[in-house]
Amino acid sequence: MSERDLIAAGGFVILFLLMLIRVPIGIAMGIVGVGGFGMVTGLKPALNLLATSPLRTVTDFNLTLIPFFVLMGVLATRSGMSRELFRAANATLGSFRGGLGIATVGACAGFAAICGSSVATAATMTDIAYPEMKRAGYGDDVATGVIAAGGTLGILIPPSVVLAVYGYITEQDIGSLFIAGIVPGLLAVLMYMLTVRLRYGPYLPAGAPFELREALRALRDVWAVALLFIAVILSIYLGIATATEAAAVGAVLTAVIGLARGRLGAASLLDCLVGALRTSVAIYTILIGAILFGYFLAVTQVPQNMTRMLIELGLGRYGTLVLIMVLFVVLGCFLDAMAMIILMVPIVFPVITQLGFDPIWFGIIIVMTVELGLITPPIGMNVFVINSIARHVGLGTIFRGVLPFVLVDLLRLAILILVPGLVLFLPNSM
Amino acid sequence: QDVTLRLAHWLPPQHAVPQTGMQEWMDSITEASGGTITFEVFPAQQLGAAPDHYDMTRDGIADIGYVNPGYTAGRFPIYELTGVPFLATDGPNAAKAIHEWYAGDFAAKEMGDVHFCLVNPHEPGRFHGKSEIKVPADVKGLNVRPAHSTMARFVASLGGASVQVPAPEAREALARGTADAVTFPYEAMKIFNVAEETKFHNDMPLYLSSQVLLFNNDSYGGLSAEQKAVIDEHCTPEWSKKFSEGWADYDKGVREEILNDPEHTVYMPSDEEVALWREAAMPTLEAWKEDVSAAGGDPEAILEGLRAALDANGVLYK
Amino acid sequence: MTGQRHTAADRVILWVERTAAVMLGLVTLLIFVSAVGRYLFAAPLPDSFDISRLTLAIAVIWGFASLGYRGSHIKVDILAQAVSPALRRWLDLVAWAILLGFTGLLVWKMGARVLSQLSGGEVTMDLRLPHWPFLAAILLGLIAALFTTALRLWRIWRFGEGLEGHEVPPEEDGPDMGHPKVEKNE
Ligand code: NA
Ligand code: NA
Repeated sequence: MSERDLIAAGGFVILFLLMLIRVPIGIAMGIVGVGGFGMVTGLKPALNLLATSPLRTVTDFNLTLIPFFVLMGVLATRSGMSRELFRAANATLGSFRGGLGIATVGACAGFAAICGSSVATAATMTDIAYPEMKRAGYGDDVATGVIAAGGTLGILIPPSVVLAVYGYITEQDIGSLFIAGIVPGLLAVLMYMLTVRLRYGPYLPAGAPFELREALRALRDVWAVALLFIAVILSIYLGIATATEAAAVGAVLTAVIGLARGRLGAASLLDCLVGALRTSVAIYTILIGAILFGYFLAVTQVPQNMTRMLIELGLGRYGTLVLIMVLFVVLGCFLDAMAMIILMVPIVFPVITQLGFDPIWFGIIIVMTVELGLITPPIGMNVFVINSIARHVGLGTIFRGVLPFVLVDLLRLAILILVPGLVLFLPNSM
Repeated sequence: QDVTLRLAHWLPPQHAVPQTGMQEWMDSITEASGGTITFEVFPAQQLGAAPDHYDMTRDGIADIGYVNPGYTAGRFPIYELTGVPFLATDGPNAAKAIHEWYAGDFAAKEMGDVHFCLVNPHEPGRFHGKSEIKVPADVKGLNVRPAHSTMARFVASLGGASVQVPAPEAREALARGTADAVTFPYEAMKIFNVAEETKFHNDMPLYLSSQVLLFNNDSYGGLSAEQKAVIDEHCTPEWSKKFSEGWADYDKGVREEILNDPEHTVYMPSDEEVALWREAAMPTLEAWKEDVSAAGGDPEAILEGLRAALDANGVLYK
Repeated sequence: MTGQRHTAADRVILWVERTAAVMLGLVTLLIFVSAVGRYLFAAPLPDSFDISRLTLAIAVIWGFASLGYRGSHIKVDILAQAVSPALRRWLDLVAWAILLGFTGLLVWKMGARVLSQLSGGEVTMDLRLPHWPFLAAILLGLIAALFTTALRLWRIWRFGEGLEGHEVPPEEDGPDMGHPKVEKNE
């Protein structure tokens, strides 16, 4: 091991120690970034990184779409669009056996189409769908498991804040990434619905009989969601707007619709802005740290060494890919999904490109891997969020309920790894 | 003693500059120093954002920085003259001329906290559009991705609006309709795939974007006398020219390719049309003069100095 | 959870946060108008690029000050939740002292850079507005972060208050649908 390798290894150890004692993740990365850079180049230039780099990060125009998409999601949550979505999904899909569960997946997908956050999707659906399923006699495990899994659609179906950050880090077109998420997202919806029907269906009550008039009325009420999705995603797909413009347009339209329908007032609008600001600043803090950490990686050549090491293992293309995915799942046990993408993607990305994998496709695969971390024990953010709202349901119950969906997710990952065209044909047609 | 110098730039590693002039320059230094000076290159903004490269060099984050002074409007008012349209007709000889003109007092005044080494402009840049741009009036109402702050000003004076995206994202901006046209040298048509979107090219040589290579003062000061002599031999007007030749050759090659591609229209304005363009560029020069006056310089003398140096090297736009 | 003890500080932070949040809203509106204007008038607003990114930076840094107070940065809770409250308090003290130190370094290094720009420096691309007023507002936000982080640190020390999302109870509010306020982001 060279001196720089030792510094790199030491840097990672200190990084994890700092994170473990609850130093904010971005700050831990920043400290190790500056300190490690200083070990190689001297302390003075390293401290000078702080004069330019954080300022450059917060003034980077390419990052402005993050607060815009966060704001759009917060506004959509606040204006109660999830309620209409659930009603519409229930009116169309609810008559099946297990129809409420299937409708919940559909409502999650609809909400994911305007909200870029999985946790927010899970939270709002817990509010709406959980009481309905309880009333219909669903077990706690099924009811919460469906929502936990359905919530993961939030970061796969566009818009997605995590995919946007992936695109920023890897310099990939964010619009293409969003469009690439559509087919895997729809595949997930289909597979989740089938899981509800086939795995739980026999034990679940039948839904209310189908009524055409109610279905049409309920569908008419989701015009706002449809309009927003079209305004944002179609304008990206058709090349009418950049992702940043689409994000701002989406946020403004969501606010206007909410105000016009009386769902938002001045006070709640301000509240949404504050909420979006807090979430965005938390992401910015990680990005500031990650970019400082990136200089440390550059001078110690960690990505190059990591690439060489992984390729020398001789696991082959798919073996290496699976190893990387396992690494993400393990880290998902204690790292936030966003933090994981920001910390780990720069390190493994050179390997992926060297192995000849498509960067857009890898973005979708790694986001799906991260999604898996949101619903697997011991730590699953979506599960925790549901637990914090539906207080009396134990974590174990939720994890038990979500297990079939985890298995289905693994199957979906395998399909998309074997048939990358499913991910890529839409963005390639842009 | 042996030293390894960190050289930071923001171009992709496969770009013509790191592949040709920069590599040649480093190899020559390593050889002349008997192997005592080597380099570690950090491409593609690995050590910091493109507009930060001046500060990174001054602050010692890099020992050597490849800096585009045009990315930070208002910070190097004298140097911004090099981006004003219709001054130079080629890249490498202009590099030598700009070096001769700037390296002394001006560099000390504007870039005094670093050690000035050399100048690296591209071949003159042109307008490339999705639609025809034959005369200045054609720019009115267009969204243009300008090369730097001075060209942004030029575009604005023609009634266009500037759209700011980093060079690697220019193609994307064109594809999405955010931009209708760009100002770029021909090489960008290929390296950034801009030619996929812009099928119209105005062939009139228009402006330069002129990078500088700078040393951190301590990094330079810490070298032995012999090593300093080697660096000094490589920070000359002649090396500015040599450093810039590979880029220019590549640019000319791409221009030939586009000329021979039936998909593309390459238009050379008539003498009357060129006169229109030159007249349209006068406000940009005047605005520059005001900036320099405000910064306490004598714009007429500074302008005459650059024109004389360009003339002496046979590349003054006449 | 904060009780009646610190309402004055809470109100100041809330006010700061709301100002920053309004700036975020205005920037969103600016990009919206600029994007729409591109179609209706075939021209984006001059300097919408520079003004939006510089204004958003101010909002983010002032928001950083608020997060230093609220403790709601993204962090790893797994160890803190496993240990005894007494030990957790020590972990929180160390963690927030480190955040305070890092914020101090930022104030020092970024402050020097901002001060060096006061005598003429960078300007925006289109309108040639000076950068320094924006940078000064950013620097002020960082200095505020120094105070807010120190205040949280002192409260951990003095009152044993932890880092678990310090929310101010909403005073007034409009119609509120779908209520859960999710602090965590994934
Ligand atoms: Na989404
Ligand atoms: Na997990």
